[in-house]
Amino acid sequence: MITAGATRRAVVRLARAGWLLLVAGCTEKMTAPGVCPDFCPSGSVQVVDTVLRTAVSRDSAFGRPVGYTSPWSTVFLLATSDPGTRDSRPVFRTGRLASRLALSTDTTTSPVVGVDSVIVRLTIVRRDTATHNLAVHFYKLPLAIDSTTTFAALLPPFTDSLIRTVNVDSLLAQPGRKDPVTRDSIVVDTTNHLITLLVRLDSARVPLGTPDSGAVALGVRVTADQPASAAFAASEDVGLGPLVTWYVRLDSLGLAAAHRVETRSPLFDSFVFDPPAPPLDANLAVGGVPAARSVLRVSFPRTITDSGQVIRATLDLIPVAPAHGVPADSFGIAAHAVITDFGAKSPISGTRVDTTIVHIGVTDTVRIDVTNLLRFWIGDTLAPNTIVLRQVPEGANFAEIRFYPSSDLVRGPILHLTYAPRFPFGKP
Amino acid sequence: MSTPRRFTACAALLLAAIARPVSGQDSQFGIAGLGTPGHPESVRSRSAGGAFAPFDPTSPLTEASLTDIGSLTASTAASASFRDVESPAASTWLRATRFPLFSLGGSLAHRRLFVGGGFSSYLDRSYAVVTRGSMTLRGVSQAYTDQIGSEGGVGDVRVGAAVRLGAHVALGLGLHLLPGSTRETATRRFDDSTTYAAVEQSALVRYEGLGVSGSALFTLTPALAVTAFGRSDAHLNRYVGDTLTAESELPRMVGGAVRWSPLANLRFAGMAMWRSWSRLGANAFNTISWSVGGEFGVTAPLRFGVRGGRMPFGPGTTAPREWGVSAGTGRGFAKGRGFLDVGLERLARDGDGLHERVWTALVGMTVRP
Repeated sequence: MITAGATRRAVVRLARAGWLLLVAGCTEKMTAPGVCPDFCPSGSVQVVDTVLRTAVSRDSAFGRPVGYTSPWSTVFLLATSDPGTRDSRPVFRTGRLASRLALSTDTTTSPVVGVDSVIVRLTIVRRDTATHNLAVHFYKLPLAIDSTTTFAALLPPFTDSLIRTVNVDSLLAQPGRKDPVTRDSIVVDTTNHLITLLVRLDSARVPLGTPDSGAVALGVRVTADQPASAAFAASEDVGLGPLVTWYVRLDSLGLAAAHRVETRSPLFDSFVFDPPAPPLDANLAVGGVPAARSVLRVSFPRTITDSGQVIRATLDLIPVAPAHGVPADSFGIAAHAVITDFGAKSPISGTRVDTTIVHIGVTDTVRIDVTNLLRFWIGDTLAPNTIVLRQVPEGANFAEIRFYPSSDLVRGPILHLTYAPRFPFGKP
Repeated sequence: MSTPRRFTACAALLLAAIARPVSGQDSQFGIAGLGTPGHPESVRSRSAGGAFAPFDPTSPLTEASLTDIGSLTASTAASASFRDVESPAASTWLRATRFPLFSLGGSLAHRRLFVGGGFSSYLDRSYAVVTRGSMTLRGVSQAYTDQIGSEGGVGDVRVGAAVRLGAHVALGLGLHLLPGSTRETATRRFDDSTTYAAVEQSALVRYEGLGVSGSALFTLTPALAVTAFGRSDAHLNRYVGDTLTAESELPRMVGGAVRWSPLANLRFAGMAMWRSWSRLGANAFNTISWSVGGEFGVTAPLRFGVRGGRMPFGPGTTAPREWGVSAGTGRGFAKGRGFLDVGLERLARDGDGLHERVWTALVGMTVRP
């Protein structure tokens, strides 16, 4: 006789066994090597590689004479000494010191009566390490320098107003990177690849004149055994720009002499250079100073935008001439999508961007991988299909490159597109 | 709970269940075709090779068998398959868990009219195949890996009715809706993934179809019954979005079965079935499948069976062959209101260039509230 308890136990055992079997198989694994075409779906992923010669149109360059970045607005102060090719010299002007300074913690002030010394700080953010005996020369300039000051206008003071010269390589070789005689020093930041140059100027060369009350304008020139090139941080590069530190003496009102330290950042910094940047022409200019940009409009077939998937897209640009600049330099070109197409004033997207590196003197076709941009456009059909080419970072060097425009049917920009058409889902 | 309320509750369960895609038995042989046909069999029938399915009211194969359902009955099944695929390329173990069946039936009009419904797997289209290849892009050969996948299938939602005409004859009719969907994916990944982005595309493919079936059950003696059944399915339409992408002919089916019960606790059955899959075109074959099985015992019956036949899709000039054995048992509980069935099936499929060996564990539950 089968009791209810025995039945219950049997059912429980069966349930457990079944549950174990199901749990053991409750993980899907459906992927197997395909034996094609006999045991594979009829459709397959297709990839098309095509060159669209007329995809780029309505292209032109902008940015001269006033560039997207100009010498007075860039984060770099470019110093170049390449005779016959380029001569560029940073200039900056600091504000005045107060004629009276607080003597102690109360409100009593005393007049500034003299200067012990002046320290000028410059930060070298880039230099050509292949050149030797890099020297930095300081010149006293007229206080009237501003953004309209030209290279030619400053030639006289750059000729007769030299106040100090510092050899960077010699200073780097000094024990502790300090010159015990001149009391110049140098600090190397190997992490950020920065060299901070601290140059002591004689107060006799930078006097605290009553009319100027400590305002000073300085010019900087670099030289080396070979053509020299260096970039200094501008005041736009927060915390790294030029800095003038005054060690001043106060009238101690009959007590012991009092000393104070006053620092001044530039009210204005820029660089002057010769020869001036060439004007724009029909070609697509990118980079240089003032910084030029080129705007290109791109169109591609609806079969791609509607259902295709871009695997790789390159914008092929043929240079009119080799990119010119300091031979050791290279620079980046960024292709930005725009938020709205306003032509030269189109706001560029900071996130939809593709880049490439251009080497000086190379005449090869420049290929910018614009896969991200095309995928973005396919995903957002309302976005304008406009590319802005610009140098990165803008205004960082004089290197400039020009490409043939779309009006040149043979050498104009080409969109080389590799894409996958829509898979034939739902077809037998 | 009154019978109509019970029926409503069970129908709600059914609708909730069919809202999810179902699929049955996967096979690589179905990839190049329309899919892999499912087995419309309860665990009890499948454990006996499927031979009892034409007589089993919880197996949605025939409607005339509903006349044996007695009271309101709901049945479901779950299966876990472990499949070894042997091809010239490699040998691979695959796993899948499915819920291939739910049925509901009962009697109306003082046990003269019997109605039933439910769903089962009509075609399974779950697979993922990986292939390697290369192509020349921009003058350089680029190697890649393709994966084409599909997940889902076509269900068979049945509404059927049967009447008993006297003591020896029962007739049944059924209407079959064939809804389904598959999530299909196609990917290509280049080895040089930094230069070439991956292709990743997917789509939801929707299926619609319709079919009718009919069957007749003849109880010749208390120990001997035979049944004949047939079914005709129309087109299976495939849609991507609202666009009709393909229209496939579906097969017709005829079959017959016999059941012999020499003793009260011993039953045997045999079944044969023909389906005109060749209507689909190239690489599709008409199939004949058969099964023989037995069931011994009442309280905890032992079931066993053998099945054989052909698969409808495959390369070459002959259809792949399928052969299998199965066994199982079951137990009632809750004073006969519930039945738990378990089974184990071993299938072998052989075709040109591919062999499959499948272990399938089956668990079924039948409830009579």
